[in-house]
Amino acid sequence: MHEMSLVESIIETLLELQKSHKWNHINKVTLHVGAMRQVIPDVMSFVFLIATKDTPLAGAKMEIIEIPMSFKCKKCDKKWGEDQMDFVCPHCGSLDVDVLSGMELDIESVEVEEEHG
Amino acid sequence: MAKIYKIQQSVMAADEEYALQIRKEMSRRGLLVINIIGSPGAGKTTLLEATKDKAPFSFAVIEGDIATSRDAERLSKLGVPSIQINTHGGCHLEANLVKKALEELPLEDIDVIFIENVGNLVCPAEFDIGEDWKVAVSSIPEGADKPLKYPHLFSEAKAVLLTKVDLVPYVPFDMDLYKNDLFHLNPNVECIEIEALTGKGIQKWVSLVEKLLKEKRSECL
Repeated sequence: MHEMSLVESIIETLLELQKSHKWNHINKVTLHVGAMRQVIPDVMSFVFLIATKDTPLAGAKMEIIEIPMSFKCKKCDKKWGEDQMDFVCPHCGSLDVDVLSGMELDIESVEVEEEHG
Repeated sequence: MAKIYKIQQSVMAADEEYALQIRKEMSRRGLLVINIIGSPGAGKTTLLEATKDKAPFSFAVIEGDIATSRDAERLSKLGVPSIQINTHGGCHLEANLVKKALEELPLEDIDVIFIENVGNLVCPAEFDIGEDWKVAVSSIPEGADKPLKYPHLFSEAKAVLLTKVDLVPYVPFDMDLYKNDLFHLNPNVECIEIEALTGKGIQKWVSLVEKLLKEKRSECL
């Protein structure tokens, strides 16, 4: 259940951003979460909902975009991924493989209401 | 009116900063830091006790547990400097906790720091605590499906210590499946079979740590 720790960090970052940019309100935060990161999106957004109650972030939505695993062989240049989590190239057997995506755990963007005047 | 701003920042940016500070300080001192991750009861503390018998290097231990200081007491009894961190429900260690614990250890007298993470195969794999390497501890009775079920840990580990191999004759465990799955997650990983109670495999493990220590010291010079 590391979602709680992650949400604490996200809240801290969002409150700092809101203060420094003088945003009226943050409506939505969008995360990119890679398949390898073992985060359960429903748990994460539920914890965020509960943890932001009675804070300046109350009412903010959390959108989680899941990024699938993808790999590329450095030897034969072929790509694979999605449900195929293999660090050995399934095409040529090479061990020289790049992980292209699936490790993300990022605050991608925020939708905010700005102060007027 | 609503407006969208790109942030593109790691969720764990604050903790990554602590991890970076730890890595810098430990490199300056030439200390090797190993983050030991495995399920409750996999044999992490027993491994460290057995390490004490054979290690040609001096080491200290940071113990992460939800409650009790039993693990740190077991190692202190053997003369190993040990600090217990209680997470009070937290399922993993974080770099800010490790940084504080390091301040209490006699760093000038030791070569290697083992951080025994909270028993759990999921969350500890997600948090950078400033270690040089992660090492996975996985025991025979847990079953052969652990690498595929917990791919993050097993794909990042420098070594996998397969413990309690003396139980192979008594419990169902498909060794070929385990090693094949592990190879596909982490083709370069070193898998060492261990029987901590008889000492089998401990020499191999200690030699690996010694090699990693030498490599780190030559990089730090």
